[in-house]
Amino acid sequence: MMRKFALLAVTILFLAAFGGTASAADTIPVGVPLAMTGAYTGSGQDYFKGIKMAIDEINEAGGLLGKQLEIIRYDSKEFAPEVVMQGADYLCGQKKVASVHAGWAGWGQDVRAYGKYDAPFFADDGSQAAVDVFREDPKKYYNIYQLTDVGVEQAKSMFRLLMTLPYKYPNNKVVIINTDDSWGVEVGDTLEKSFKEKGWKVAKRETVPYGTNEWGAILTQIRRIKPAIIHVEIPSAQEVITFFRQFIKRPTKSILSYGWGITPREVLQNLGKDADGIVGEMPSGLPGPKAPNPAAQAWIDKYVKLYKHQIPAGSWITYTAVKAWANAVKNVGDAYNFKAVNKYLKDNGYKGLLGQIKWDKDNVLRAQPGAPIVHYQVQGGELIAIYTDPPIKPYGNYKFIVPRWIK
Amino acid sequence: MHFMHISEDTILLLYEIVDVIISGLTNGSVYALMAVGLTLIYGVTKAFNFAYGSFFNLGGYCAWILIGIVGLAGGYFSIFLAVVPVLFVVGYLLEKVLVAPLRKYEDWENKVMMMTLGLALFMDNLYVVVFGGRVKSLPPILEGTLEIGQLVFTYLDITIFFLSIGGILLFGWLLNNTRIGMAVKAVAQNPEGARIVGIPKERIFAATFAISTVMVGFGGILLSQKYFISPMSGGAIMVKSWVITAFGGMGSIRGGLYAAFIIGMMEAFVGWGFGMSYGMIALFILLLTTLVVRPQGLMGKS
Amino acid sequence: MSFKRMATIMGGTFGLVAAAPLFVGDIRFIMHILIMCLIWAVVASCWDLIMGFAGIFSFGQVAFFAIGAYSSAIFSVNLGVPAVLAMLLAGLFTALIGVLVGLPCLKLAGPYVALVTFGVHMTLMPLLRGKIGMALGSGGSVGILTIPPIRIFGYSFSSANLVPTFYFALLLAMACTAVILVVIKSHWGTAFLALKDSEDFAMSLGVSAFKYKLMVFALTSFLTGVIGAFYGHYIGMISTRMLELDLFCTLMVMVVVGGIGMFPGTILGAFITVIANELLAPLGTYRAMVMGALVVILVLLLPNGVMGFWLKPAEAEAPAA
Repeated sequence: MMRKFALLAVTILFLAAFGGTASAADTIPVGVPLAMTGAYTGSGQDYFKGIKMAIDEINEAGGLLGKQLEIIRYDSKEFAPEVVMQGADYLCGQKKVASVHAGWAGWGQDVRAYGKYDAPFFADDGSQAAVDVFREDPKKYYNIYQLTDVGVEQAKSMFRLLMTLPYKYPNNKVVIINTDDSWGVEVGDTLEKSFKEKGWKVAKRETVPYGTNEWGAILTQIRRIKPAIIHVEIPSAQEVITFFRQFIKRPTKSILSYGWGITPREVLQNLGKDADGIVGEMPSGLPGPKAPNPAAQAWIDKYVKLYKHQIPAGSWITYTAVKAWANAVKNVGDAYNFKAVNKYLKDNGYKGLLGQIKWDKDNVLRAQPGAPIVHYQVQGGELIAIYTDPPIKPYGNYKFIVPRWIK
Repeated sequence: MHFMHISEDTILLLYEIVDVIISGLTNGSVYALMAVGLTLIYGVTKAFNFAYGSFFNLGGYCAWILIGIVGLAGGYFSIFLAVVPVLFVVGYLLEKVLVAPLRKYEDWENKVMMMTLGLALFMDNLYVVVFGGRVKSLPPILEGTLEIGQLVFTYLDITIFFLSIGGILLFGWLLNNTRIGMAVKAVAQNPEGARIVGIPKERIFAATFAISTVMVGFGGILLSQKYFISPMSGGAIMVKSWVITAFGGMGSIRGGLYAAFIIGMMEAFVGWGFGMSYGMIALFILLLTTLVVRPQGLMGKS
Repeated sequence: MSFKRMATIMGGTFGLVAAAPLFVGDIRFIMHILIMCLIWAVVASCWDLIMGFAGIFSFGQVAFFAIGAYSSAIFSVNLGVPAVLAMLLAGLFTALIGVLVGLPCLKLAGPYVALVTFGVHMTLMPLLRGKIGMALGSGGSVGILTIPPIRIFGYSFSSANLVPTFYFALLLAMACTAVILVVIKSHWGTAFLALKDSEDFAMSLGVSAFKYKLMVFALTSFLTGVIGAFYGHYIGMISTRMLELDLFCTLMVMVVVGGIGMFPGTILGAFITVIANELLAPLGTYRAMVMGALVVILVLLLPNGVMGFWLKPAEAEAPAA
């Protein structure tokens, strides 16, 4: 009897606590589907920081068209197909949000799910698979916007950087290590192709599962190969940190390129100055530590003050996307005139902190001066932007320094 | 000249194989440390603890709090001293409050599995809430590297290797040579008989849980220095420990030790020869073939 | 519990659900959740059949579900097999895998069986993402994003027209759970109970543990494969993300809520869990934590799940000691 009573009480408590959530009518709801539980929670938190910062700014400045924005979050968990679809139905169908701001969102699955609706949907899939889905029916998927260039293009940019560095490679051998998900494979394949076209020898190509933390077997082969470049493309901190720790025990004279894997912020938090010399990239990035203009510098300062850490990948561009959408709505005059808002976004893009940004015919924010691919090198335990692309050119007064293990 | 060239290659290959063997030994010592607590619980109480991996991280997080927030002086020695009682109490209470009440059911083994799975889900997400989704690191217990010719070892790896093997041997000795150890063994071998001769079975069960929690937490503190603390990694650690325990024979500490090194070595060689992504598949094939021939694992009693 | 009572509870639940489109038929979000509930109800019931009744601690349910979804998608996308036929083939294929997995499991003790079956789950992800998967048409790490919907006489059942798809799912779920009900109440069910009570004694009476356990592997994986195939055709896309631990945990919660070995409790469990999950969604990061705590509390306080409320005291599982 006590048991039944206890259960009843628990159930009623739950219902009382969560049953009666309704959004006020005088706000504009904005959907934010991000991973809040499970393996991708860390990246979800970083994306959210940028989105929240933009929305708070808009609200503090009096809201959008006189209305406050209201964030409606949805937990994308681990991006299972039905969860992605459910998120679209919940945010767009049920909550009638005016726009959706996501980060990693499903690598193609999200295009299908949100393409059923018309509210602008911003994602950072960085994946050719997502673009391929878009191309099947650009009219239907007109509301889908990608915030970063695809893995293929990012990989080409990484290759351009490696070929541009003011450094003479002692040989033409490269080792490429990437994860077994679509991102890792896309980058790894492109790099392999680019290197081969240039006449390099891809001495080893290894696809590893997430959770690989013991690198002895690979490193011993690397030590025999003595490659001029090692590229590690793993978008997860633990793996890249362990790789470096075990590599540096007995390093080869190789340029160590980490691609996107340099951006999860705990990489540098953990490695600090030990990581000096590693190069990596951030798509749609804001170069630093000294920004190119005062407005961008003010943004960096504000972010660092707010969240007490350096800018991780995704924060700035999700911030910019919220602002771009708000700007489109302001110009159209109606957040729910989706056709007009989308048309405005597509035709005009947005003037962001680094200049004009524009989505291309695939609704992808290709690498461009207003949202460049930023190539970093770790110097003094900090990410220093040494090049921006396109066009690939040195950034500011920062210089590439030959890693200490090569000298 | 030609001959010279080949022999140089052979020497390089030999070095490489030695390197792979070292990698395998490192794997093995890590796995042994991970798995020994799990096999102990199963051997004594027949309960299978799915929250095991989460307790691994509990140890790591406790140490992280003590170093990063409390700023405890005295290095790892004082940390072990401070964390061990906490883990012991947590493990003891866990058995008393959550596991013991389930023993009255006929299918209590299944219920314990379900309950501990829920507990793992709870704990892992609690870590995300409290510590955030990003990984945390612990400073190494010993810095630096030891170089012997071409071969380089970190002192941390060496420490892990010796503490792992030493710890397990010491534990085995305690089990065979102390009163409490013998009581634990008696309960493991014949719970009813142990009760008749006056060994308090319930308290031994709880103590076993507590000891195993201490061991896995200890492993967590040590291994987190190498692999860092990640809130959701409990599941992967659990699965690894589970495979090792099953392969070695559940309840057999010696079996677990052998299994850890066999699997560690196999992973290193498969990764070296075929590629890292084949590790899991090879592991599964090894496990399956072993279990087909010996359903109770390498050293388990049927 | 008697056949009549089980059938009544099932009929009542499905009857109530069947009426839902009258009220919420035009709310996509809720219709989608209801369809997912029906799908999970079958998967969870299969899990309960193998675990609760046959006493085999199998952790391969999600793997079988994914195998069903993938094989049906591959049959229909690559070989052009009509979806309905592809679903059936997928079921048979999954059953075959189920038997192959079951064979080595039959001699093993509980935690070993759990490990071997979970091993199938663990190896499936690298397999589907790797070269072997790509060669079979799994789409690697991207997945298969263009699965044709089920078409019968030119009428398609997909996420575009949810109400008819809902009734299709309902019929499928009813058929699958009816099979489970019949099995539990048949000669098989009695054999399972006998085997669970005392394997030696049952075997001395000529009940072959081997035969029955293998049959239950085949049956549950067949049903799980079929419903997995339906999932693929309904959602229109599948990926290896299905194999992350989230789904596994949710299914486990369903079984615990419904009561282990308390069929048809799992059907209720599926609905309650999914609805609770949605109600808890505003908790964000805390949601998964609360779900975990709920499992612990339920196992301790309500060992028969929600079915505890329907049981007469005499039927409730008596503590052994």
